[in-house]
Amino acid sequence: MLLNVDKDLKLYDVTLRDGNHAVRHQLSADFVRKYCIAADKSGAWAIEVGHGNGLGASSYLVGQALESDYKLLATARENLKQTKLAIHAIPGFATITKDLAPAIDLGVDIFRIATHATEADTSQSHIEYLKSRDKTVHGVLMMNHVLGVSELALQVKTMISFGAEAVILMDSAGHLLPSDCKERVGALVEEFGIEIGMHAHNNLGVAASNATAAFEAGARIIDGASMGLGAGAGNAQLEIIVALFERVGFTDKSALKFLPASQIVNTSYQDNLPRVTSSSIMSGMYGVFSGYAPFVEALANKYQIELGHLWAALSEANLVAGQESILIEIAQSLAVKESSKHSFGNDINE
Amino acid sequence: MNRVVIIGSGNIGTDLGERLLQSPDFQLVALIGRRTDSPGIKRFVNRVEWLGEQGLQNELGRLDDVDGFFDASSAKDHVNHWEVLKLMNKWVIDLTPSRVGKPIVPTLVGKLNSMNLSESDHANYSMVTCGGQSSGPIIYSLIQCFSEVTAVEVSSSIASKSAGPATRKNIDEYVSSTEALIKEVSGCNQAKAILVLNPSIPPVHMRTTVTIQGNGIDLENAKLKVREEELLMKSYIPGFDIITEPFLLNESTLTMTVSVKGSGYFLPPFAGNLDIINSAAVETARLHVANLMNVAQRG
Repeated sequence: MLLNVDKDLKLYDVTLRDGNHAVRHQLSADFVRKYCIAADKSGAWAIEVGHGNGLGASSYLVGQALESDYKLLATARENLKQTKLAIHAIPGFATITKDLAPAIDLGVDIFRIATHATEADTSQSHIEYLKSRDKTVHGVLMMNHVLGVSELALQVKTMISFGAEAVILMDSAGHLLPSDCKERVGALVEEFGIEIGMHAHNNLGVAASNATAAFEAGARIIDGASMGLGAGAGNAQLEIIVALFERVGFTDKSALKFLPASQIVNTSYQDNLPRVTSSSIMSGMYGVFSGYAPFVEALANKYQIELGHLWAALSEANLVAGQESILIEIAQSLAVKESSKHSFGNDINE
Repeated sequence: MNRVVIIGSGNIGTDLGERLLQSPDFQLVALIGRRTDSPGIKRFVNRVEWLGEQGLQNELGRLDDVDGFFDASSAKDHVNHWEVLKLMNKWVIDLTPSRVGKPIVPTLVGKLNSMNLSESDHANYSMVTCGGQSSGPIIYSLIQCFSEVTAVEVSSSIASKSAGPATRKNIDEYVSSTEALIKEVSGCNQAKAILVLNPSIPPVHMRTTVTIQGNGIDLENAKLKVREEELLMKSYIPGFDIITEPFLLNESTLTMTVSVKGSGYFLPPFAGNLDIINSAAVETARLHVANLMNVAQRG
């Protein structure tokens, strides 16, 4: 008999949203269709679909999507019978008129409104609008590692005051350790008594452990992606989370049911599967947004700068998600500094 | 000298007050706030002719000898203020995001028909958004270097500390106003605006990146054109700098970035996003008054 089975556990599949980062936002409608047909039977609570930075984020700045959010959502909607359809939207990128209202019309079930961890008050109009339309709204605090627990609680409180029914902590830089997740989630669950979610990235190789620690501390919405397909070193791998939870007895869901969707990702995106690379480790250690990895690598290459120096410079600049154009500026000024060092025969490769 | 009044005694109104006290073109007559204990009002005691503490409605008797107004209150209040001021035949520079007035970017006056100034005292000019003020002139210069423009994108990042409650509460308003201006300046309907708030300490200076997709790009000409525009901008906002020169992302897409540092009259230098609105407001008022003089001379 299973002792700790938790019927409230909500496994939240971000493959078709965060996974878009791993493929430079090129997920096709056809892939979404195939994936949804397989994942609809997995037992996940919801599947999130859209551009990597959420609805309305297809741009020169972050990356242009192959397909519009509308098309991907419509395709997913047609093929999801049991699993809820969800979206991620960041105010400043997504607007009510252009993105949220159409998403409601397309039949989206769960709406996540996301802000940088310190900017929860920018979610007010979006959350209130969705509440007025009687929709399920969750708040998301991205890069939550930049705040301590008590400061984080204030931001959670702000989102709850607007009407968020649950708040998800995103470890967008893959910086947190299992003990951090446990402390954060535990404190928030105790203080607010609402559903708390954990969205882990694998930069330091502990994403699945972070998801587990968060669950043990009371998080009931656990994010994951098939094959970990997501920004940087990828997300917590969904099928691993389920396997771990199944073995410990946290769930009566079967990891086996998540494998068909995982196999679709594995065969479709062999070349894009996330790995823990030097870049991801630096992004995790320095606490820089994981999604910057492909830009950082391209810029280091273009301007002949040491990769580690560029990550360190980004860390000093305290960037938030959505500042891709500033990476260029930082890389250019670093290139100038490094070329002058070279002329003194300094070996920067040490 | 033209006699002007500021409505709104918050941070923006206060900075504007300091700025106008130093302006050779305007005489700051009064500040009108709505609270007796407003620090903005206290700051100008004995520095202007009079101070209003109970809103515009209560000061109507003192406005006859005032030529123009700067409204730095709120979008909602501006609607009411304009109802009163338009009957008095006074010009108003609207610094709020109300979108009541005509959008003006000072360096584009005389270049775009849509930005022609009024030939009478009756005028309401909207200062749009910081993203619009910082990108409009750049977009205008760049599109001269394309044979066809198919898409325009403006992304701005600003210091969290400089984003006021109105912006935070309704970022969509910022996005739609900025997109409307991008469309107007570029003539291209495929327009996107993005705003990112950065909480970094010390605070970051505002950055605006303009990206244009189209055909027949003359990159060398673009580099020259934006330098000319940078000089024009610097004439009223000295902290306006190109920090990433135009370059091609691919054969049909050009991008560049500017930084906007504030002049620090009252607002801190990192609040370039607010400074550019105030700078544009004073410059628009100056252009409007000069235009009226020209009209009068032409008879």
